[in-house]
Amino acid sequence: MGRSERFGRPLLMGGALAIGLYLLLPSLVIVPMALTRSQLIQFPPEWISIHAFTDYLGDPQWIASTLVSLKVALLATVIACLAGSSAAIALQGRRFRGQAIVVGVILSPIVVPLIVLALADYLFFVQLRFIAAWIRIGLAHSLLVTPYVFVTVQASLAGLDPALARSARSLGARPVSVLRHVTWPAIRPGVLAGAIFAFAVSFDEVVIALFLQSPEATTLPVRMFTSIQYDLTPKIAAIASLMLGLAALALAAQGLVALRRKQPQSS
Amino acid sequence: MLMRRAIPEGIATERTAGRRLELIGVCKRYESGPEVVKDVSFALEPGEFLTLLGPSGSGKTTTLMMVAGFELPSAGAIRVGDVDVSTLSADRRNFGVVFQGYALFPHMTVQENVAFAMRMRNRPRAECTRRAREMLDKVGLADFADRKPRALSGGQQQRVALARALVFEPDALLLDEPLGALDRRLREAMQIEIKELQKRIGISILFVTHDQDEAMMMSDRIAVMNKGRIVQIGSPAEVYQHPHSAFIASFLGETNLIPRGDGSVSVRPERIRFLKPGESADHSIDGTVIDGTFLGRQVRFNVSALDRRIVVSTADPAVYARVAPGDSVQLGWNAEDAQTLAAED
Repeated sequence: MGRSERFGRPLLMGGALAIGLYLLLPSLVIVPMALTRSQLIQFPPEWISIHAFTDYLGDPQWIASTLVSLKVALLATVIACLAGSSAAIALQGRRFRGQAIVVGVILSPIVVPLIVLALADYLFFVQLRFIAAWIRIGLAHSLLVTPYVFVTVQASLAGLDPALARSARSLGARPVSVLRHVTWPAIRPGVLAGAIFAFAVSFDEVVIALFLQSPEATTLPVRMFTSIQYDLTPKIAAIASLMLGLAALALAAQGLVALRRKQPQSS
Repeated sequence: MLMRRAIPEGIATERTAGRRLELIGVCKRYESGPEVVKDVSFALEPGEFLTLLGPSGSGKTTTLMMVAGFELPSAGAIRVGDVDVSTLSADRRNFGVVFQGYALFPHMTVQENVAFAMRMRNRPRAECTRRAREMLDKVGLADFADRKPRALSGGQQQRVALARALVFEPDALLLDEPLGALDRRLREAMQIEIKELQKRIGISILFVTHDQDEAMMMSDRIAVMNKGRIVQIGSPAEVYQHPHSAFIASFLGETNLIPRGDGSVSVRPERIRFLKPGESADHSIDGTVIDGTFLGRQVRFNVSALDRRIVVSTADPAVYARVAPGDSVQLGWNAEDAQTLAAED
């Protein structure tokens, strides 16, 4: 027993580390490439300069795209939080015929091939040209990211004692007050975690954004995708590095949320 | 919340310790299911402690949930004073409910928990705080006001739940097996505490339990429930000494069912005694002692008589010395201790 423990544990840690590196390295390579002095994206990079970053920040087109992406992700996240949480709350503790189908429909955007969804969105929004392009993309994205919020909120509702709502009612709380004073505090971490997920997914989504793009609404990933085909600027590597940093921040934030939930709240 | 709460006049606005709760022919049937509560009628008098006692599935909790307003009766009426509350939602009735797991709000402090009902009634903040403090003082938890519920022991959480359910001066307190989660020692301490709190505050209590000892020690009256019906209602002494049926007799403590005529009578083990030679009793039977067990406060004997096992218990340790397994004995009891039972329902 002592033997397998002595050797097994380091082996497991080593294996996990190796797999972790294998998963992460390709993404991390982008960071040194962004720090190149050259005007072209290349490997190995000529160190070291931050001109790619300053070029990006000084380019109004790229900044416009960044703003479009932020607006789109924000809109999609807000809608996903409202729709996903409402759906999870409505379905909580209920049993009815066809419930599995309802849940399946809510979760379907995760499974449906993205290209199919994008094409459908394109054909649908062609009819709705009067809506601003970034709003169209945001609406399409909200469909895609609602399942993330739905799932995280559902998970936090599963741990909620149904007697809490009943006791609140018996103490004189109307259903709205129960939602505000009992349900909301319980699902808040779930909504937050789902929102972070939803924002991240919408922010770097390419396929739908590509189909629904217009000259005044080109999201950041779409601009990166189109520009790399004719212009090998290291700006792309710089932006990718920034997005990587953003994702790492999101992950850390989520970790913090999870940690705070686990910690016993003492006085 | 700017909405005016539509509470029927008089329910939440005045001191209401003296209101009578009455159930009249209350039934509950779930869609396409069997009837789980059948024609239940009783009244909870002001200041009374009434227990619904029954095995699981007897309908006692469903009855309580209908009173609280979490379930709608399929038939019958629930009245508080002169008001029919059967169709009001739980928040528009005025009952304090304590659940088995206490259901304290985990993200609120003890004081916020207790003040919750006042807050829902849009009382000024100062009044909420003052009344919550007063109530916490009454249950001896004034020093714990700023703690979170999970930092409290089981007994303390129980007291917070009671304080929270009492602070808004409800018409009655509804307790759904509130002591089920506690160990025996704490359970007994809480039974006494609830009883004392009730006397001090003068509130009516409707209590649900499956534990007959708990029911006996706490209640003014016990309503024994079985298969959705109230099968007997009366004081603990009445129900224990004069059970109407074999079910009631055996559910409330131990009993001996002794055939007589075409029915049977119930005689409690402590009411049967070993007759000394020459001694006589209203009723007597012959038997053989199987074994005897010394249990401290009492001695229990199994006696074989009338082709069955008769249990005899006595608080007199001398009997343990006198009676030995294998002895032929004569058992006797007084006429008033034999309860004739109705045919089984």
